[in-house]
Amino acid sequence: MAEKTITIKATRFDPDKDSAPRLQSYDIPFTDEAMVVLDALNYIKAHVDGSLSYRWSCRMGICGSCGMMVNGTPKLSCSAFLRDYWPKPVTVQPLNNFPIIRDLVIDMEDFMHKLKSVQPWIIRKQELPLGAGEHRQTTAQIDEFKQFSQCINCMLCYSACPVYGLNNEFLGPAAIALARRYNLDSRDQGLTKRLPVIADSEGVWECSFVGECSVVCPKGVDPAKAIQQTKLDTTLRFTLPFGNRD
Amino acid sequence: MLVIGGGLAGIRAAIAAVEANPRITVGMVSKVYPMRSHTVSAEGGAAAVLRPEDSYETHAFDTIKGSDYLADQDVVEAFVREAPIEVIQMEHWGCPWSRDPDGKISARPFGGMTTWRTCFAADKTGFHMLHTVFQTSLKYEQIHRHDEVFVTKLLVEDERCIGVVAFDQRSGRFDAITAKATILATGGLGRIYAFTTNGNICTGDGMALAYRAGVGLKDMEMVQFHPTGLPFTGILITEAVRGEGGYLTNKNGDRFLKDYVPNKMELGPRDIISRAMITEFDAGRGFEGPHGKYMNLDVRHLGEEVIDRKLPFMRELGREFVGIDIVNEPIPVRPVMHYMMGGVDADISGATPLLGLYAAGECANVGLNGGNRLGSNSLSECLVFGAASGRAAAEHASTAKAVTANPVDAMLWDEARRVESAYLEKTGGDEKIGTIREEMQRDMDAGAGVFRTKEGLQKLTDQLGGLRERFERIKVEDSSRTFNTELTAALELDFMLEISQTIVASALAREESRGAHARKDFPERNDEKYLKHTVALSRGPEDPRPRLEYRDVRITNFKPQARVY
Amino acid sequence: MKAPAQAARAEPRAYRWTMPANWWTRNRHYFLYTVREFTALPMALWLLWLLYDIKSAGAGAANFQPPRSAAFIAFSAVCFLFATYHSYTFLKLAGVIMHVKVLDKTVPPRAIIITMFGLWALATVVIGAVLIGFAR
Repeated sequence: MAEKTITIKATRFDPDKDSAPRLQSYDIPFTDEAMVVLDALNYIKAHVDGSLSYRWSCRMGICGSCGMMVNGTPKLSCSAFLRDYWPKPVTVQPLNNFPIIRDLVIDMEDFMHKLKSVQPWIIRKQELPLGAGEHRQTTAQIDEFKQFSQCINCMLCYSACPVYGLNNEFLGPAAIALARRYNLDSRDQGLTKRLPVIADSEGVWECSFVGECSVVCPKGVDPAKAIQQTKLDTTLRFTLPFGNRD
Repeated sequence: MLVIGGGLAGIRAAIAAVEANPRITVGMVSKVYPMRSHTVSAEGGAAAVLRPEDSYETHAFDTIKGSDYLADQDVVEAFVREAPIEVIQMEHWGCPWSRDPDGKISARPFGGMTTWRTCFAADKTGFHMLHTVFQTSLKYEQIHRHDEVFVTKLLVEDERCIGVVAFDQRSGRFDAITAKATILATGGLGRIYAFTTNGNICTGDGMALAYRAGVGLKDMEMVQFHPTGLPFTGILITEAVRGEGGYLTNKNGDRFLKDYVPNKMELGPRDIISRAMITEFDAGRGFEGPHGKYMNLDVRHLGEEVIDRKLPFMRELGREFVGIDIVNEPIPVRPVMHYMMGGVDADISGATPLLGLYAAGECANVGLNGGNRLGSNSLSECLVFGAASGRAAAEHASTAKAVTANPVDAMLWDEARRVESAYLEKTGGDEKIGTIREEMQRDMDAGAGVFRTKEGLQKLTDQLGGLRERFERIKVEDSSRTFNTELTAALELDFMLEISQTIVASALAREESRGAHARKDFPERNDEKYLKHTVALSRGPEDPRPRLEYRDVRITNFKPQARVY
Repeated sequence: MKAPAQAARAEPRAYRWTMPANWWTRNRHYFLYTVREFTALPMALWLLWLLYDIKSAGAGAANFQPPRSAAFIAFSAVCFLFATYHSYTFLKLAGVIMHVKVLDKTVPPRAIIITMFGLWALATVVIGAVLIGFAR
């Protein structure tokens, strides 16, 4: 009985040799129904073409390294099962909307700057001393921001967002979701410090609610919700009397 | 100063250093972006004495007994006192610890712990802790990150460590980064084994770097196998599943642990439970699956509400990777390589015998975990010893002599040439990196697994020697300078082949069974001869086999007893 | 001894990404989003025509000829469908956008959506009644 195979078409690009990315085709054995696109890439690298470069680490959907376009949709390659595509070929490309460094590796420095710009840490007017123990916080208070704290920084949302693709200045879904995570944390008092960045024309107001970010998010963070809620909150702060409190 | 590695221990060390001395600059060098560090996959929790009914003494005793009395007791006693402070510090930095109804940090039962002291953030504790420290570290301007920079060698001059040689993966450019103090926080080495919970990046880099610089690797034979990994992928199913009340059952539906750890049952220590499962497999009482034998981990009796509140990530993993809903079906699990108790020889403040070099986290062995680590001690360990080494390194750096440029340029030149000629300019060769790596992993699984024998270990020594020879003849297909992951794979394999020899040699020499090291030919513990740490030292690049020394375990208040649960 | 090749190595040039002009055809969600945004244009044109009509009607009831051509009715029908589609999607998303708390408990999204649609229906009836009443 013939061995089952599957075709992987992967983007190749070496800035020292290539002027533009191109697709290269590989046929590999499809030996187990549990195989994912990442397994296919690992097989190619170990047994067929050692020069294929891509990022990966945990293989369980929590580190966020392995984001790629799989047949035109941003996915974590460790969670994209080959059985969902077989027998058709699988096209694997670097994430849309980012500069390509090499093969399937994109430049994510822009996100790192944007993450820092929203000040994603607890800001307090007065630090509680360690000896005083923990801030009291209830499960209900955690539920307020829990969803937005699940972000693994995988960048699939930036890749899905046409606004970010057309305008790289846009702050972006993940950064805004993380800003909201801290704004809603009962221990944080830093909302006014974050507002200039998130309530900016390149912040939440650049978003036109396409909603694709939330569709592709592998952790259910729903960044579209975070952005729209932030729009409403910042508007109410601005318009309501006594809305602009700390 | 420098921190190599951007996981929980590394980032904690960097923050501790700049808080101790705001005028210091800390370079944080990581081969991946810090949020990718393998801390992110930790699930269960971080142990700390926070409740009034708990005591430092019980936490210390649980840890020491859990270590099969190989732990240095003074280190354990200091650790249990620092852990609660670190948990509160994490809370202040925003870590979303799960809470009790009164709003205080909650705790859950865990393996080998006599009381509930494992603080948790649902079942993604490592994820939340890593993102908390990483995002907090962004507010310190003194911490300069060098992301996706791969360290190939420690710089040593006049018997002190003065920094590292590393290359930027993006541009391929080599640089010497000098520092008056360097902390290794590079994590574990799970990828030496075929079946492991560890991610791709866990290749023991820091251990190999220290070993090559003449620092000893302590207790390398102590490799922890976690009882509950998913077959095929090796993805971790957290001990918290058992902590919340899950049952382990064999083919006959029996909770077989009643024959091994009757008083603790599913909450026994990991080494004993893993051995129990293998023993049951050998007796034919395991399930047979397409990916090997397994046992059932059953949480159906906990109910959907508890599972969704306490174990939501497990439900997600079950659905995604096994196609089951753990609310209605048992989880297939088998023992999987998970953690390295062994590591770089470091003391209570993280200092290694090499002046200017420190180590913290999983890559270090400060003497806390001995022969077997209790679950939820590792996340606390990263915080406590990350902070301790950060402060110690900062203090050392503030008084140490400056590093002079002269010999550094020559050393950088040499190292860059070494890597270029060995890999990037290599022609010919007929061995594939992937093939050698896979063989090493299979051989380690077979020869240095849960149960070891003299024959198995000797065979493994020869196999590793053969693989090392074949490694010299690898074919490198990628000569690009830009993000060359074949180069990093080759360098990592080079590290792994070297330190795997220390694991095998240490295991061969320890002719007893203690903690996670189980010898079929020496099934008893021998305190007279082996109440000592094994220290493996390099004999230099020509001889792959280490020189072994022994060092007494430090006993303070707890005399070694029989380890029964 | 040969110098390391990296001595004068500059940062390699990354390949710049550009959005393809047909990006909005590549994905069903993108297409529906573009349609939704596009509905604003014909609706704006229809409303401009309405303003013009109101102005003409102000000149005198005798001269006023409300448009009756088939083309205009067809255009109005299309605009009506667009308006309904736009309102429907917007009101459905209200459950996502609005984070309302009553007495410390978060109002579930379904309740918000039903309330919004309810208010929409009410407004339609009220405005319709007013217009028809004035027309009499």
